[in-house]
Amino acid sequence: MKKRKEMIQLIIGIIIVSLYLFPFIWMVLTSFKTQIEIFQTPPTLLPKEWSLAGYQSILNEGVLLYLKNSLIIAGGAALISIFLSVPCAYGLAKSKIKGKSMFLLIFLASQLFPATVLLTPLFLFFNRIGILNTYLAPILATSLGGIPFSVLMLRPFFQSIPKEIEEASTIDGCGSFQTFVKIILPVSFPSIAVCGAISFFFAWGDLIYSITFNRNQSLWPMTAGIYNAIGRFGIQWDNLMAFATLSTLPVILLFILLQKQIIKGLTAGAVK
Amino acid sequence: MSKNHVISYLLIAPAAIYMLLFVGYPLIYNMILSFQNMDLSTLNSGEVLFVGFENYRAIFQEEAFHIALRNTLVYTFVSILFQFIVGFLLALFFANKFKGSDGLRGFVMIAWLIPQTITALLFTFMLGSTEGIINQILLGTGLINESIGFLSNPNIALFSIIAVNVWIGIPFNMLLISTGLSNLPDDVYEAASIEGASNLQQIFYITLPMLKPVLLVVIMLGFIYTFKVFDLVFIMTGGGPINATEVLSTVAYRYSFVNFDFGLGAAAANILFIILFLISLVYLMMTRTEDVK
Repeated sequence: MKKRKEMIQLIIGIIIVSLYLFPFIWMVLTSFKTQIEIFQTPPTLLPKEWSLAGYQSILNEGVLLYLKNSLIIAGGAALISIFLSVPCAYGLAKSKIKGKSMFLLIFLASQLFPATVLLTPLFLFFNRIGILNTYLAPILATSLGGIPFSVLMLRPFFQSIPKEIEEASTIDGCGSFQTFVKIILPVSFPSIAVCGAISFFFAWGDLIYSITFNRNQSLWPMTAGIYNAIGRFGIQWDNLMAFATLSTLPVILLFILLQKQIIKGLTAGAVK
Repeated sequence: MSKNHVISYLLIAPAAIYMLLFVGYPLIYNMILSFQNMDLSTLNSGEVLFVGFENYRAIFQEEAFHIALRNTLVYTFVSILFQFIVGFLLALFFANKFKGSDGLRGFVMIAWLIPQTITALLFTFMLGSTEGIINQILLGTGLINESIGFLSNPNIALFSIIAVNVWIGIPFNMLLISTGLSNLPDDVYEAASIEGASNLQQIFYITLPMLKPVLLVVIMLGFIYTFKVFDLVFIMTGGGPINATEVLSTVAYRYSFVNFDFGLGAAAANILFIILFLISLVYLMMTRTEDVK
């Protein structure tokens, strides 16, 4: 009886999720169709013959450069985010210093203000310090999402590590830095990886910082490349959907790799 | 100050200083800018002057700004309402633990992962008037006789973008509500079942009231994430047709980076900031009280 009920729920679940994700499925399927088939009435669900023409033409258009730029920008932002937020979260979790709640407030508040508010002042600021038209400008700007998120997510995690473990290692003669590197880092590696992944997602999705700070298009990431391609390709949807699929692939792979921890981390970071 | 305290400050300070430098300072700078006549010529000549509320006065005289303000509010409230309802229903469904439920729920997150630029392009394609699949389905099933200009009809365009935003926001709502649901005690439901309460009654009289703190946070965060909408509008309509989908952030962007009137752009962004700031205060107060417990 219970088995049968579960079976029905599973089937309903699959139907709901497939309907919900239909746009995504449609994107991937379209990327393998020919331009003629895309404009055909009635439309086909599966490609009649799987065509790679869309992928071929975006490769010729230099999509790999955009992909490289996206990896540099999102990777850079994730690294900055981890290097700053791990020690910070640890400090906030373990110490009883004055002004701790003020520090927490800085992170809670800074995560609330969007790119569109920061865009103009950052542009003028970066202009003054001479980093417009470099990778650094979008890297610095996109890391601003990941840092507060990571600090707020990692702090409760570090708090949950039992004191005894650290005390034992201190007795064994390890200094606090050694304790941190040898004891804390290994157990918290999955959580830190999640913070890195989420910081990476935030930066990967950015469009506005890159197109504003970098007039030099050879520094543009995938999102900006596709914005550009809309103008160039017009209604060549096979090319555009191939571009879109390729832009989404890295984040989906990363998500699948860390799915369980990411879901746990997302909820901990947001609800807390 | 003990040695430990010094170490703590050294650990915490770099991230805090970084955020103050790249978020705190720009926010203040933006406020100053909004009272200046900073544009491309004054930026180069260095003759920037304070002009009082001149930028704000100029903005409030623009019709596009009024449309943008109204659109942003409509966009935010309608989006949150539907994201929340669908997210809540999905969370309820997945609360039935069945084989594969976690995996399926994970799949839903894909919509949240896709960069908004890509989602915007994808739906522009799907909502197209000739090749768009949605019009094709509606025409094919005879529900409509001629294709709908989802993005070209000024009366519809904003709601088309809202629908896309609802699609994007569902996973996040579902996820947070799911977590809230899993933290509710089971015995209350058992008691209610014994008393003969129906499923619907249980939702309205037990689930919703008990979830209230989580739901408030979900709605607040939804507001904060939705109010800043930029990418979707920028890609799908660029604010058109004839300003019909203009929102605060696209207006601010246009002033600063199309017209290069940074003072005007800063003033528009500052209005966006002030509204977000007020909402955030409520959110911060709510999370602070949670934290104390």
